[in-house]
Amino acid sequence: MIKTAKRATVFALAMLFLAGMALAQTDPGVQSASRGTGATIITTDPNGFLPFFQDGQNRFNDIESVSNSPSNNNGLGPRFNSNQCSSCHSQPAVGGTGAAVNPQFSFAGSPVAPKDSTPYFITANGPTREARFPFFFNANGGVNTGNPNGGVEDLFTVSGRSDAGSCSLQQPSFNAAEQANDIIFRIPTPVFGAGLIENLDDSTLLKNQVNNLNNNFGIAGAFNHNGNDGTISRFGWKAQNKSLHIFAGEAYNVEMGVSNELFPQDRPLPGEDGNGGSGLTGLPSNCLNLTGTGYPEDTSNPTSTPQAAVLDDVSAFANFMRFLAPPPTGGVVLNGQQVSASTIAAGASLFTAIGCATCHNSTPGTTQVSNFVPALSGAPVNAFSDIEIHHMGTGLADNVSQGGAGGDQFRTAPLWGLGQRIFLLHDGRTTNLNAAIEAHQGHGSEATNVEENFDNLSQQQQQEILDFLRSL
Amino acid sequence: MRCVVLRFLGLGLFVSFLAWGQSAQRNGGDFSNDTHPVTKVPTGVILVKGAWSSASDSVTPVPEDGSVTNNVFRDQYFGMTYALPRDWTEKYKGPPPSDSGRYVLAQITPGDSFKGPARASILITAQDMFFTPLPATNALELINYTKNNLQADYKLELPPTQTRIGGRPFTFFAYWSPVAELHWYVAASEIRCHAVEIVLSSRDTKLLESLMLDMSKMEVPAEASPTAGTGGGDVPVCIKDYASGENVIARVDPVFTEHRFNPVPVRIIIDKEGKVKHIHFLSAFPDQAKAITDAFKQWKFKPYLRDRKPVEVETGIMFGRGLRPATGNASVE
Repeated sequence: MIKTAKRATVFALAMLFLAGMALAQTDPGVQSASRGTGATIITTDPNGFLPFFQDGQNRFNDIESVSNSPSNNNGLGPRFNSNQCSSCHSQPAVGGTGAAVNPQFSFAGSPVAPKDSTPYFITANGPTREARFPFFFNANGGVNTGNPNGGVEDLFTVSGRSDAGSCSLQQPSFNAAEQANDIIFRIPTPVFGAGLIENLDDSTLLKNQVNNLNNNFGIAGAFNHNGNDGTISRFGWKAQNKSLHIFAGEAYNVEMGVSNELFPQDRPLPGEDGNGGSGLTGLPSNCLNLTGTGYPEDTSNPTSTPQAAVLDDVSAFANFMRFLAPPPTGGVVLNGQQVSASTIAAGASLFTAIGCATCHNSTPGTTQVSNFVPALSGAPVNAFSDIEIHHMGTGLADNVSQGGAGGDQFRTAPLWGLGQRIFLLHDGRTTNLNAAIEAHQGHGSEATNVEENFDNLSQQQQQEILDFLRSL
Repeated sequence: MRCVVLRFLGLGLFVSFLAWGQSAQRNGGDFSNDTHPVTKVPTGVILVKGAWSSASDSVTPVPEDGSVTNNVFRDQYFGMTYALPRDWTEKYKGPPPSDSGRYVLAQITPGDSFKGPARASILITAQDMFFTPLPATNALELINYTKNNLQADYKLELPPTQTRIGGRPFTFFAYWSPVAELHWYVAASEIRCHAVEIVLSSRDTKLLESLMLDMSKMEVPAEASPTAGTGGGDVPVCIKDYASGENVIARVDPVFTEHRFNPVPVRIIIDKEGKVKHIHFLSAFPDQAKAITDAFKQWKFKPYLRDRKPVEVETGIMFGRGLRPATGNASVE
């Protein structure tokens, strides 16, 4: 009898526990139903830019070789993170972020990077990543925190490739960097709607910044600036890039090793060019001019036809990104059930009420008049970002400075398209929205009070916010 | 046998040579063969800072030095002390001051042992009124601007009303979000030309009321006033734009070595002889702080007189780009 009573008590407690579990808010996860993401923003095209979008998209999908590409897509390396723009920017469509299956996992030991090893942080189903060492190593191999690095340490080399001659390079010391706690990661930023962000006038952003300062959450914010002309820069995890052209040119050079009209030299690793007292004097001569045709490896093509083919790859990439429509919102399925529109609307209201929208502004402004296409003119930019950089505290800090952004400052990540992203935060450390929200609080973070407001909500209200976020 | 030994030696030399070569190549810059490092990058520390706050000395109090120690919040600059309610704590420090003059002085929340039916938060902030781009010249106007520009989702519960905290006058107002069922109680007063705000938020209005009552034990300096907290007494008088016009006898502009584009708000204390006694950079890169410090050594001001006697004066100067003021209604209704 006593045993039966105990069992009943245990059963009742278990039911209570399970009920509590059921009540806990759940990230609905990546929404798989097609929302039409990846289409062009061009509806009317008086100036004939649609072929440029399509051409840019084709080139975004091209696989680069070092020197003997039958389609003349040469220039890869000598160091690279991937050999194709769309291999990293593919979720949920070309132009997006990292996919569920990481293409980088298959590179080492394959013809892509035959002599390389797969870095420890690249896994088959983990985030597509680039790596940076916040600090240089010294001559003894120890980390020197007095000597900031922060540049991209490309994961792979062309060593051993049949199209790379005798070039033989070492991969950076990822394991030693891990042991020294001297490595951070970044995942690809999606570029849907990027043309709208590019076309926001500085004055619009500045006025929006002042309006945002009227808050009781302790939030301020600043802008990163382009070092040449002092205007607001806006692309990249720290808003370090001014325009889509610069963004594309830098990525082509840094992530794929293709020199181009904006970045005309092959890029060595930060220390390989003598920085940090490494004593090295750049890439070895047998790793230069691997195409055998000189520099830059990507140029415009004056005699090509049609018109779009005249452009260099970087310009074509910029056009592709510029004319990508913002990601459409969509329905949300949670545990097999469709979430109601009223729930998502409630989540949107809560998102604003508790202060998330102080930084993740639903619409930081409307675009200036565009010379490209009408769709980029006078359009609301529903990016859920103020394009400002904010102090995010020690929990998210990466100790990498880019432009005016310090080691703990990040651009407010635009949340449009969040419903179909797999990996979250700048380094892809989580796939769970709850964890991503939780990471917003920490020592020195501007978002701590807002995160506390989230914690103060009921579980149902928190669920509504999660549902809303996955509708974006 | 001899041949085998020679081969072994040769192989050994070859391996040694390889190891030596790789060792030489692998250390420095991006390479290291040290897989058991003695020195590691510390976790949870921001070593690479962008524009940040700093001061010319570590003795003179600055607003961001406020902290919670032994469950008591103290900010020597503002002369504020507040013993936290039992079971409450500051789990996370705030961010550094912003280039618009915003400070987060303390973020206080219930600790793990808190047993109340709902959570709440106490946020203590300060806005340097020398640098705010909002259309307000004092704490009262700032509160009114906030009230007049509440988001559509919020509902006013109590318009700005005069109250007292720690025996000093504050302006108090309250609003709530029906959808979030969260209430905000905001009390503000001006101290040393800063709007110091205490923001309480919770779903539980009884808890908020008890927290407001608990605030009565807060120590606040005598100068605190929603409209006229302008220093004096034991601290310098604060005057906006004192470093202008005839007040400046000698001035040398800083020579910046880097081309940067950030606002650099600076507060200075001018001594009775008219020299810069203390410099507080709210937000500056180190090279900017050095250039400005070097320049200030050559500045000379007309001493500020109060009752015909020279007194120390505190003022603010914005180097670089300041934020443009917003337009809006801060009128008292």
